[in-house]
Amino acid sequence: MYSAVTDNTQQNQGNRTKKSSTDHSLMPPCQATCPLHMDIREYVDLVAQGKIMEALQVIRDDNPFPSICAYVCDYPCEDTCRRCQVDKPVAIRMLKRFAVEFGGDRMIQVKAETTHRERVAIVGSGPAGLSVAYYLRKLGYPVTVFEADSKPGGMLRVGIPEYRLPPKIIDTEIQRLIQMGVEIKVNTRVVSLDRLFDMGYQAVFVAIGAHQGRKLRIPGADLDDTWTAVSFLRNARLKQKGNIGEKVVVLGGGNVAFDCARTARRSGAKEMHIACLEPRDEMLADAPEIEQAEEEGIVIHPSRTFTRIIDKDGHVAGVECLKLRSMEFDKEGKLHLDIIEGSEHSLAADTVIFAIGQCPDLNLFSGLSGLEVTKQGTIVIDQATLSTHHPGIFAGGDVVTGTASVTQALATGREAAFRINDYLQHRYPLAGKEAEENPLGDLFPETVETIRKTERLEPSILPTEARVKSFEAVELVYDWEAATEEARRCLHCGTGAEILFQDKCATCLACLRVCPYHVPYLDDSGTIQIPADQCQACGICVAECPAKAIVLRKPYGRQQISEELDHIVKAAAQLNLKPLIIGFCCQYGLSGTGTLASLRRGAKAGIWIVPVLCAAKVEAEQLLYAFEMGAEGVFVAGCGEQCARENIAFWVRQHVEKVRKTLAQIGLEPERLEAFNLSATDEEPVKALNSFTEKIGELCFASVITQEVKR
Amino acid sequence: MIVSERKPLAEIRRMIAPYQRLLTLGCGTCATVCGAGGEREVSFLNSALRVAQAKSGNETHTLSEYTVKRQCDLEFLDPLVEKVGDIDAILALSCGIGMQVIAERFPDMPVLPGVNTSFMGAVDEYGVWDERCAACGDCRLEETGGICPITRCTKGILNGPCAGTKDGKCEVSKDMDCGWILIYKRLEGLGQLEKMRRYYPPRNFRTIPRPKRIISQANIDTGEDND
Repeated sequence: MYSAVTDNTQQNQGNRTKKSSTDHSLMPPCQATCPLHMDIREYVDLVAQGKIMEALQVIRDDNPFPSICAYVCDYPCEDTCRRCQVDKPVAIRMLKRFAVEFGGDRMIQVKAETTHRERVAIVGSGPAGLSVAYYLRKLGYPVTVFEADSKPGGMLRVGIPEYRLPPKIIDTEIQRLIQMGVEIKVNTRVVSLDRLFDMGYQAVFVAIGAHQGRKLRIPGADLDDTWTAVSFLRNARLKQKGNIGEKVVVLGGGNVAFDCARTARRSGAKEMHIACLEPRDEMLADAPEIEQAEEEGIVIHPSRTFTRIIDKDGHVAGVECLKLRSMEFDKEGKLHLDIIEGSEHSLAADTVIFAIGQCPDLNLFSGLSGLEVTKQGTIVIDQATLSTHHPGIFAGGDVVTGTASVTQALATGREAAFRINDYLQHRYPLAGKEAEENPLGDLFPETVETIRKTERLEPSILPTEARVKSFEAVELVYDWEAATEEARRCLHCGTGAEILFQDKCATCLACLRVCPYHVPYLDDSGTIQIPADQCQACGICVAECPAKAIVLRKPYGRQQISEELDHIVKAAAQLNLKPLIIGFCCQYGLSGTGTLASLRRGAKAGIWIVPVLCAAKVEAEQLLYAFEMGAEGVFVAGCGEQCARENIAFWVRQHVEKVRKTLAQIGLEPERLEAFNLSATDEEPVKALNSFTEKIGELCFASVITQEVKR
Repeated sequence: MIVSERKPLAEIRRMIAPYQRLLTLGCGTCATVCGAGGEREVSFLNSALRVAQAKSGNETHTLSEYTVKRQCDLEFLDPLVEKVGDIDAILALSCGIGMQVIAERFPDMPVLPGVNTSFMGAVDEYGVWDERCAACGDCRLEETGGICPITRCTKGILNGPCAGTKDGKCEVSKDMDCGWILIYKRLEGLGQLEKMRRYYPPRNFRTIPRPKRIISQANIDTGEDND
């Protein structure tokens, strides 16, 4: 019998789509695309607010090794980012790296207690294996990782060049695993899985990766100075001496080919060439990779096919090539080449590296009984349970999928940990919840037109001369200001407005009239609709709706501001500082630029700041409520010109003027309420605020609010 | 739509002075749409009254709030039955109609108007309303190209324009269109300018009795028609 699943393991899986009771937001495409389904929108927003520790926490919730991902993730999220439709995607991976480095990920300790007796063996310490180890350990299982090499890390250590992933990052994560109680046995090649069961392990996870490089079957491919990418990178990473010549030709057009060429550059080669089948604009490598490689002097020869490696006295002398007019794969995956007649030529070389793919090392399987292997040399598993045909043996990572991304391996590892847990607890496996969620569709062209274009801030990279001299990390992390600025470009997909109380809606069309993005519309039945996939979550309609029928899907608006305000009023009542001044300050950008901090420092005692996520979300009532609660001066501070939204200053002014008019009717000075525009470079806000504070102090004598601060 | 506007705070404060416990009652239809008496305005007004009370220091009103879907229908007022026991007066943010229906529904309860019922009108842009109909009970829009001379002409004359029109604007204000020029242009567009050349005799408003009543259903018992 399968038992009902209620323990924290399954809750842990639920975490991937974890939402508070007030959060009705929809899954944005970045999250849907991420193999780990990380809550990207949330952590990017937290970075934008300057809440870096919180952002790191969100990242850690869904990612076992954020530091590693921050360096080597292939960021499919950025491809689906809906800002692509407006200008360029949000630089998600670099924001994650910023959060990881500035949030102090290295200092975080993860604790795990042993709550289960079943021991699990993990064969291979690459990203998939380490991920399984991490999650199984968190689930309370004793875990042993077997690694054939002298250091754990698998492809992370021997397949990815140091300039992309510094070894100290891997060491930190391994150290953390050891602190959690994961046992790692290096220099231990597993030759028999059956033997592992004899040793008392009740489940085995096979994650031996794809370490077998492939070569083209052309004459000369087995000459001494030819390498596979795997062996070349491995040698480079393990600092083993290899015979790298002066003229290196890499065959292949993916990221690995570039890794090889750039590694060769750093290892002392004088001339580096990359030649590949694909035309220039269809090369598989990432654009920045190609750009940086060319800066480093690597020459690219696209649209070539290769006929032989030129043999000169048993040594490589070059690669004989033909030029291609076009290439394509047919439906069966068979390659068709259109060769240009008479285009034979050769590329001079003394070293040739084949970067044309890799597969698992089949020799390793010889001792493993009961495993079914595909033609490509990968292990066959059941997609639902991740189990092989042999009970208790699970597999994942490159050994199952063929070469895939690190993030994919981490995701498989996490999934496998839950499935192994199901197996060991005799439970029916539950599918991940994220499968049920539909990501948001594209923005309408008319919505795109109304969204302000903001330039993507590319992270700095080491200057070319510096980077080719060593294996230093090429990409530099954002500084605080750049990170918050970049993070504000997020469109907050799926957190927008919804009419929560249809019965309250008077169909007054206020939302339709105030929306700067023209999102709300009247449907054929005369009902107002606010399409979730178009709304930009600016909150203007929420603050204007006369029936208060609209809310934001994420509680960024009224509710959050009211809670903060109440909190501040309580705190202020205890201290009883006079005059009490309450400021509603836009949290976006301000923390990062330090303006908010200098406001707090520069301002006289008695100023309390309610952080808001956009000043236009502060409703007139809330301004008045601050007075009601005993404030003698109130101000609203927007973020000024950096604002990523439309019409914000206008709506802030509207709310302020309404309240000022009411104050005048009551007999209070309208000057008690001010609106400021704060911007990063401006020193004026602090001065303006100080003069406001002094003015309020004087007003106290002119007209006294007799009421004490409430609560 | 019936457009209303909140009364000045001083007037409201004067009205509520004799009453200790007040219910500020919003209306979820016209008053909401014109931003004078929806849920948002109800709580804004209460907040303003509390600040005013705090400033004066000698008032101790207890203010509660509620908004019904429509105050001009008795049925919507049922939820108030249990509330009226705890209050001394209702401050209604609705048009005069809603206020009177409340007065009818709760004979013992004083009802105070929190808004002035201004006119029947339409929105021009967000937050701007214009009068469009005077409810004269004798609609002539067919003759005037769908533009009402009673409300759009400052003088409400039936045979315009008068001599006060200049460059299509009214002599009362340079910003105000002359209603009769609008009518002329509209009729011109419709190819019905001959309607401008007719004389319309003055109307006898005395023939329209007040209060008016409309009975849309036939009286089955007597067999009489409403017309």
